[in-house]
Amino acid sequence: MDFVTMNILDNTMLSLCREMGIVLMKTSYSTIFNEALDFTCGIASPKGEMLAAAEFCPAQIGGLPLLIRSCLQEVPLSEIEPGDVLIHNDPYRGGLHTPEHTLFCPVFVDGELVAFTVVIGHVAEVGGMVPGGFPSEATEIFHEGIRVPPVKIRKRGEDVVEVWKLWLANVRTPRYNYGDMRAMISGVELGSARLADIVRKYGREVFRQTCEDLMDYAEKRMCAEIAAIPDGRYSFVDYMDNDGVSDSEIRIEAHCHVIGDRLVVDYTGSSPQVRGPINATLGVAWSAAYNAVLHLTDPSIPKNSGCFRPIKIIAPRGTVVNVDYPAPEVGGNTEAHPRIAGAVIGALAQAAPKRAMAGEGGTHLNFVFGGHDPKHDEYFACYDIEVVGWGARANADGNDATDSINGNCRVMPVEVFETRYPWLTEEYALRMDSGGAGRQRGGLGTQKIYRCLDAEITASQLTDRHQHQAYGLDGGQPGASGMTWYQASNSEIWQTMVEAFAKRSTSKWSNVTFKPGDRVQILTPGGGGFGEPAERDPSQLAADVSDGFVSAEAARRDYAR
Amino acid sequence: MRFSANGYYIERYVKCDCCGVLIYDDGIPVTHPTAGPLLFCSAWCREWQAQKLAGIESPVVNETFA
Repeated sequence: MDFVTMNILDNTMLSLCREMGIVLMKTSYSTIFNEALDFTCGIASPKGEMLAAAEFCPAQIGGLPLLIRSCLQEVPLSEIEPGDVLIHNDPYRGGLHTPEHTLFCPVFVDGELVAFTVVIGHVAEVGGMVPGGFPSEATEIFHEGIRVPPVKIRKRGEDVVEVWKLWLANVRTPRYNYGDMRAMISGVELGSARLADIVRKYGREVFRQTCEDLMDYAEKRMCAEIAAIPDGRYSFVDYMDNDGVSDSEIRIEAHCHVIGDRLVVDYTGSSPQVRGPINATLGVAWSAAYNAVLHLTDPSIPKNSGCFRPIKIIAPRGTVVNVDYPAPEVGGNTEAHPRIAGAVIGALAQAAPKRAMAGEGGTHLNFVFGGHDPKHDEYFACYDIEVVGWGARANADGNDATDSINGNCRVMPVEVFETRYPWLTEEYALRMDSGGAGRQRGGLGTQKIYRCLDAEITASQLTDRHQHQAYGLDGGQPGASGMTWYQASNSEIWQTMVEAFAKRSTSKWSNVTFKPGDRVQILTPGGGGFGEPAERDPSQLAADVSDGFVSAEAARRDYAR
Repeated sequence: MRFSANGYYIERYVKCDCCGVLIYDDGIPVTHPTAGPLLFCSAWCREWQAQKLAGIESPVVNETFA
């Protein structure tokens, strides 16, 4: 094992993945790409192993190994030629959810396939029953938009026009989708050209062997981390509020078996799959376990398939953690993922309390909307992500106003939001008292008020934690739950979506029409606290009150000694 | 996974009865005395599930992960 070459190549591939991401950010049309950065770029071996991934979206990084593996089961290597680009988004073929589109581009050197460059991106509009791709009242996969099995969207350097036409005919915003898809293709093609140069520089055999060494190294590093956790079976249960079409809470159960330097994550005991769209695909179940383990282990371990080898995941079919066709699943990747990862972290926190954080807000809020833009005479659609409070850790407060742990996405700036869409942001602030009390305080959620301006907007939301709060650890208190409120233009009264529109759920509702002057307020959940609140440093508590993070009343009530 | 004869569509999604992964090949079929016919993706899954069905809460399997 040549550590010098391995280290250089690892960092070179990582830089290349970041460069692919910059291409997406700079050339895409939709705000979910160029502002939120809801994408990930990676490199895979011809066998489907992930060799490198940039640190964009953790849900997609953890989902890459199964995605690549499933895609290559259907498109044999013998059918892949230089200049091809494959597209895939099918949640039932290793995918994460319908909006997540994955592109693969082969890297050929001297006629030999040596790798793939890969981009996964969240496409904001995919057709289906609501604009913006989050139909929270869906009851089957067909409500969630177009499914694309692994097919070539470019062949030998030329567009496959039939695939483009078929795809773009099934979405509401074809011009934006076209631009975003071109950006993704530019990313993988740039990566392919750059990686071919790198392989030529080192030689094919050195490249292949160094990649093998790199994965072996990552495996050894991860084994050492797991071996440091005492052997045993650690279990944890968390819940989701409901599925949007019924009132039942949904159980997420994780049993972590630490056996020497190996870890088995078993989700047996989780709820059977539900009618509404919060089921997770197998890719999500894998990704959530990987995400949790990466949160608990040394962040310098190279993120490749090697570091996942010591981890085995058991996700019983037909459950909310491994949904069977044709149930809906779009919220599984955003809402179930953080709950699954949180259950794994909660379980392992019993064995490694100093590495774990308490429960986090665990939702992306998923406020999606669309309508007709009279200025440009075309349809617009937006997928807007909001941020939550993260859980506190043994040595630090939770992060405030941060995207849930599977997203790592940015919030769209208010100025961009108001320029692109017919909303006025009347308030955007950290939410006082939303962080769970503790020796270390949970991170704060946010509060935001939008006012609809000069167009009718069709909006939907798929979120969670309106009922089940983020858990505290070691005596810490739970974070505050979230809520979404609606105020009609001619009214002073704020109502939930259940009260205003007779929806089944306050957190999951579809196709509500906002008229000019109507307002929506989104309160996002806070993170759980860590340790007994009475043990909080009085100077830190005083600073919290002074900063407006904790009210004087809550300070007296929750932190009494 | 069972594809149509021409490969155009999927007729049945076949998953491992232990870990839930999609099975594209023949898998490892097993007939369990109480659980009936089962299909596994790997020897590890077959052994883990056998011990679970025998009531062992924390199985120990010597096979490598699939």
